[in-house]
Amino acid sequence: MNSSERHSLPGAGGFPPPRPGYLPDLLRPYSSSGLTGGSSRLSGGEGLRGAAHGTTILAFHYKEGVLVAGDRRATASNRIMSNRVDKILEIDGSALLAISGSPAMALEMGRILDHSLKFYRRSQLSEISLEGKLRILAQLLKDNLSMAVEGIGAVAPLFVARDGDAVRIYFYDILGAHFEGVEFSVGGSGSPEVQGILRYLDRWGEKRLGSLSREEALLLSLRLLETASYFDSATGGVEGQDPVYPVVRLLTGSSLETVADQEIALLYRSEVMRVR
Amino acid sequence: MFDEPYRWIDAIHQRRDYISSQLERAAPVLAVSVLEGIVLATFHRQTPKLFELYDRMALAGIGHPADLESVRGQLLSLAHVEGFQRSPSDVTIERLALFGLAPKLKGAFEDISVPPVILNVLLAEVGQSPDQDLLLQVSFDGNILRSTRQSVLAPDEETRVKIAKLLEGRLPSDLSPLSSVLPGIGRALLEALHSPEELGQDESGHAVIPEKAEECGRRLLSERVWEGILVDRHNTARIRRIPANPDWFR
Repeated sequence: MNSSERHSLPGAGGFPPPRPGYLPDLLRPYSSSGLTGGSSRLSGGEGLRGAAHGTTILAFHYKEGVLVAGDRRATASNRIMSNRVDKILEIDGSALLAISGSPAMALEMGRILDHSLKFYRRSQLSEISLEGKLRILAQLLKDNLSMAVEGIGAVAPLFVARDGDAVRIYFYDILGAHFEGVEFSVGGSGSPEVQGILRYLDRWGEKRLGSLSREEALLLSLRLLETASYFDSATGGVEGQDPVYPVVRLLTGSSLETVADQEIALLYRSEVMRVR
Repeated sequence: MFDEPYRWIDAIHQRRDYISSQLERAAPVLAVSVLEGIVLATFHRQTPKLFELYDRMALAGIGHPADLESVRGQLLSLAHVEGFQRSPSDVTIERLALFGLAPKLKGAFEDISVPPVILNVLLAEVGQSPDQDLLLQVSFDGNILRSTRQSVLAPDEETRVKIAKLLEGRLPSDLSPLSSVLPGIGRALLEALHSPEELGQDESGHAVIPEKAEECGRRLLSERVWEGILVDRHNTARIRRIPANPDWFR
């Protein structure tokens, strides 16, 4: 055995020894998904037909922090699988992950990320850095590469987290590359319209996005999602008979709030649907 | 050497005496159910004793810091892997104590060929309502003590009973908010860590020289490190640290 072999002895099950405070390493022996380092056994495009996709998610800065919102629809091809999906996940009570792409993979990534950040904080007795959080998510996306290129598990999330007192928005591609969305970021099949509107408003609107009040930001997010659902069949709107409202969460330097359905319903009826 | 039963029993007795003598000077940990959750409080000199364990759960330990760290690491891994594989609601301190911790501590205690684990542990789990709160103590020999309203983690049974009685006398009789329980916890810790003479009390426990108790409180806060946490009933994802208030220690 040479010295390099001695330093790379595998742990149980042939995996490398777990890194301190890194939960995905601990989970590897129990995981059968690609997310924690395994590989997909599926090949070809057969799996595509059953995979659920379709979304509009958005995040933008407002006066007090960042608003993150998403529609509720999950689709598989031309079928609506659900109109009640929560795509804005709370991570460790201090960050938000907005998911677009394959819900199976995205929700699993959310669970791993949430558990990883908590495990790190509790085991190392300190918060992991923002860069560390971004790297864990990037690693999960990279580990999911085989599923993404097979066309059944691509995920492109938005991640919103605190950086000291500030709150920052990051968007990822399916390979794990991440960039900061300085004013806003969007994702999902309904995002082109939303992106255009946000760019226009931030550049030429009466107010920059970052100076909107909580109420103004909330109303804007609902109107943006309604616009996306108008153009994109994979983005859910609010049905008259069975209203399920978008999920809107607000992250500030000191708080994380889920906007209550009742508040959204009132605003939606009066200012989006214009029901008088 | 241990080929005869009485020699093994003798060795176990020696081991118990040794561990007890090592634990003797440890400051107790007090745990009390309050309206907002479960509060845990203690003082330490060198290394912390109170830790967040999982959603809704905290861990306290008195004994050797290295043993505490080793047990903490194992429980953290157990809880997080279990919570990830199944659901966070499937992780309970009852399962962690009964299937994870107690057999290991008992095994380590009775295996006289290995160094002993010098550690008494308290696990706290907050419920949705106060009547669902649970406090479990696991002692170095693997024994389990279950409590609901309040619990005292102490070096031995005699000290535990003594401080528990002291604490009971200092707390409101009904379930109360955190703010009205903390002064009682502070006072109970002060009395647990000082003799009546040091606190200026007479034989019946009445304060004869109150300035002495104030001085003890000041010294306690300057010489040791206060630890107070709340396992929050409504925000279960993370524990809340409680800063010390000198008014509680007089």
